[in-house]
Amino acid sequence: MQRKIAHILKRIKNVRGLSEDEKYLFAKSLAATPDERWQMHQNFLHSHDLFTRSARKKYGFR
Amino acid sequence: MSAAVLQGVPATTFDTDIWIDLPSRQYIKVINICHKQGAQLRSNTVVDLTDGSTVNFLYEVHGLHSFAYEFERACTVRWLGHDVRVLPLKRILRSKLVVRRPKDLAHIPLLRDTIRLQHRLKRKAASAPGP
Repeated sequence: MQRKIAHILKRIKNVRGLSEDEKYLFAKSLAATPDERWQMHQNFLHSHDLFTRSARKKYGFR
Repeated sequence: MSAAVLQGVPATTFDTDIWIDLPSRQYIKVINICHKQGAQLRSNTVVDLTDGSTVNFLYEVHGLHSFAYEFERACTVRWLGHDVRVLPLKRILRSKLVVRRPKDLAHIPLLRDTIRLQHRLKRKAASAPGP
């Protein structure tokens, strides 16, 4: 995965309008398979305790 | 945005929208299936599945053509062991440009950037020397 990310980063390094960290985020997402992307998305929600509706309510989300 | 996430948009979403090719008055058919699966009903169109994830059923999508038209042009993505049809990023963008709720407006730059980068990667791949 890291090699694939590095390969994509190399190919998008001259893209305008994106910071270096944004390019890394896009490269990471584009390098992943759909299932890997979904897992990253789920991990993000879990890590912020936002996965379930009841958890989200605690933070004011409807 | 689930379809966008699956296609490489670095975003997140609280629910998965599923477009159902039925008149909205027949929502009960869908709700009954969810109920049998143990889902908790939140409204006529929203359920929480047993794993805690939320699904929102749509019976029309603003800014797009008919279900049949869009389905024919949809992409197939391998997701959780199944081949699923998803709206291409350009069609998701088109819908968001029409709907324009605050959350749609927030996603528009991400969708545009991802489309732009995918085009660039395809162009570069096409121009790369062969083996």
